[in-house]
Amino acid sequence: MPGDPASLLPAEALSAVTSIRGADIVIGIPSYNNARTIGHVVYAAHAGLAKYFPQFTGVIVNSDGGSRDETRDIVLSSRFPDAHVLMVSTPLKPVHRLSFPYHGIPGKGSAFRLIFQMAESLGAKACAVVDSDLRSITPEWIELLIRPVLHNGYDFVAPYYHRHKYDGTITNSIVYPLTRALYGQRVRQPIGGDFGVSRDLVSRYLSRQDWETDVARYGIDIWMTTIAVAEGFRVCQSFLGAKLHDAKDPGADLSAMLHQVVGSVFALMQEYSGVWSTRSGSHDVDLFGFRYDVGLDPVEVNLDRMKNAFRNGCEQLSEIWAIALQPDTLAAILQLGRVFSSPFHLEDSLWVRVIFEFASAIQRKPIERMHLLKSLTPLYLARVASFVEETRTMTASEVEQRIEELCLSFEEGKPYLTALWAGKPLPHLSPRAPQSEPPGLEVSKS
Amino acid sequence: MIRTLQEVFNRAVENLYFQVTTYLPPLLVAILILLVAYALARSIRWLLLHAFKGLAADRFLEESGLSSLFARAGRLRAAALLATFVYWAIFVIAALTALNVFDTKLTSQIVEGTVFLFPKLLTAGAILLAGVWLGHYFGRSVLLWACNEELPRPRLLASLTRTVIVFVAVVVAADALNFARNVFLASFIILTGAAALAASLAFGLGGRRAFEDYLERRSHSRAETGKSFFQHL
Repeated sequence: MPGDPASLLPAEALSAVTSIRGADIVIGIPSYNNARTIGHVVYAAHAGLAKYFPQFTGVIVNSDGGSRDETRDIVLSSRFPDAHVLMVSTPLKPVHRLSFPYHGIPGKGSAFRLIFQMAESLGAKACAVVDSDLRSITPEWIELLIRPVLHNGYDFVAPYYHRHKYDGTITNSIVYPLTRALYGQRVRQPIGGDFGVSRDLVSRYLSRQDWETDVARYGIDIWMTTIAVAEGFRVCQSFLGAKLHDAKDPGADLSAMLHQVVGSVFALMQEYSGVWSTRSGSHDVDLFGFRYDVGLDPVEVNLDRMKNAFRNGCEQLSEIWAIALQPDTLAAILQLGRVFSSPFHLEDSLWVRVIFEFASAIQRKPIERMHLLKSLTPLYLARVASFVEETRTMTASEVEQRIEELCLSFEEGKPYLTALWAGKPLPHLSPRAPQSEPPGLEVSKS
Repeated sequence: MIRTLQEVFNRAVENLYFQVTTYLPPLLVAILILLVAYALARSIRWLLLHAFKGLAADRFLEESGLSSLFARAGRLRAAALLATFVYWAIFVIAALTALNVFDTKLTSQIVEGTVFLFPKLLTAGAILLAGVWLGHYFGRSVLLWACNEELPRPRLLASLTRTVIVFVAVVVAADALNFARNVFLASFIILTGAAALAASLAFGLGGRRAFEDYLERRSHSRAETGKSFFQHL
């Protein structure tokens, strides 16, 4: 039957669905050459299902991108540790472990697609997806991602981690502030990589036609989050502790990563312009889990390299930036490119204008889309360098306060975006005064 | 003697009369046609500029990047483009009509040649436009790639890319026009061959070591990047 998710599954997966027949919970683990860490992730998922959902049928699905190491073997052959060691009850229902290679465009999004197709084919009530390179995952993550869906009626559970102040810089400087300003929901880690999803939302994802775009790659996380917040699905967050994972593939191209994530945000802005243009301000999203402080891996930074990349961009790319940026914005950016001494500061209001003007230009000039997105890399590095210089001596909570100020600048600048988007006269966007007290970010529900 | 002079004089007058009666009316008609065409072309251009907003066409020019390709400030407007095109089209048609009035072998040949050449000119123009657009597009792609990869002299690489693509477009356009076909083709083959040979020699003799060093530095710096840069997501 056309559109039936089972009909889209590879033969191997289809036969597994036929033999298992049905499941209540699906835990998806996308992977590519993760032999070193995936065993631990599978253990944690298995233990989480056994400990917290023994009365439910669970399936762990590994969707692999053609690993050349032993990733798939480890998933299929690893043995569940003794139940008494983990202090978990023996599951009343079995936990199946499956591993399939996915087909189509190589990338995380294609892996997710296979997991969602499996979840829908098995009739799962809840599905969680966790990264395969996690070192800090515990069985509790499974509970925290699944329980809000199964027992509290939420459709989408986003992760909430403690991260080093220099970790997740695309999230902190672009994706979180922009998504929050657009859709009005404070989902702190919109591209966290670990999610819980309801059956309804899985069906909605699978019904969409844009799986072959940037969504197939790094764009998948923001795509999932945006659909959830823009289409009125019930969204919450779960506190998962620290996110410790293997370093990203050193060969991974920052420009491609930025291009795919930000390109997806901008593409979804076009689709949901009717939604975000009517929303203003933002509100907290329910947060589950017991919050505690954790030790984090240190992150070293190379400030000079980032500044040099930006200055090089000023020399080479101003002609491309001029397509997107207003003359005064471009002048301010080029002026910053001539600053060689500290402090190197790209102020919030200027950064907000840069992002809004790029988003708007990409909507107006789709043929220039790829060039504009790729030309954003040096500007992004300038923003990160400025953030690093500014927060060098700050504590984690002070840095969070600083990110909050940036978010408020994005929210206050929204009329500028709306005017720019509609081609109307632009209001003046002035820098906001720093706040004296930290705002209440989230409501914690243990 | 006087009679002979009178005959010569009469012949000259007759010739002059013949030439005046033969060429002056067509010349006057031709001038009239050109004047009318000029007035018509100006009026239509004014009308097009003021009456035709061309919003959809403007959007196409902006979205396709043609606007920023030809106008640095990106203010190329469809109405202005169309008005200029119509203005010159009317003028060329009028000039051909005016030439046709003389009804001589030479003017007929000119008119015929122009009419037959027109579709080829349009094709060649389209090829050149596409070549310039593609050159511009791929030039920018190379510039961005080289800049983001921190390669030396990104602008030079971008200009080279643009030049090669535009040159190919010129060769194809010349071929479509049957214009200096052999010259362009030969120069294209010679230049391409020379570039390939130069690159091979440079790479094989001088650049191999440098390229090895570059790859080594790059893989080293990437490994460091993975260690010490960011978890950007």
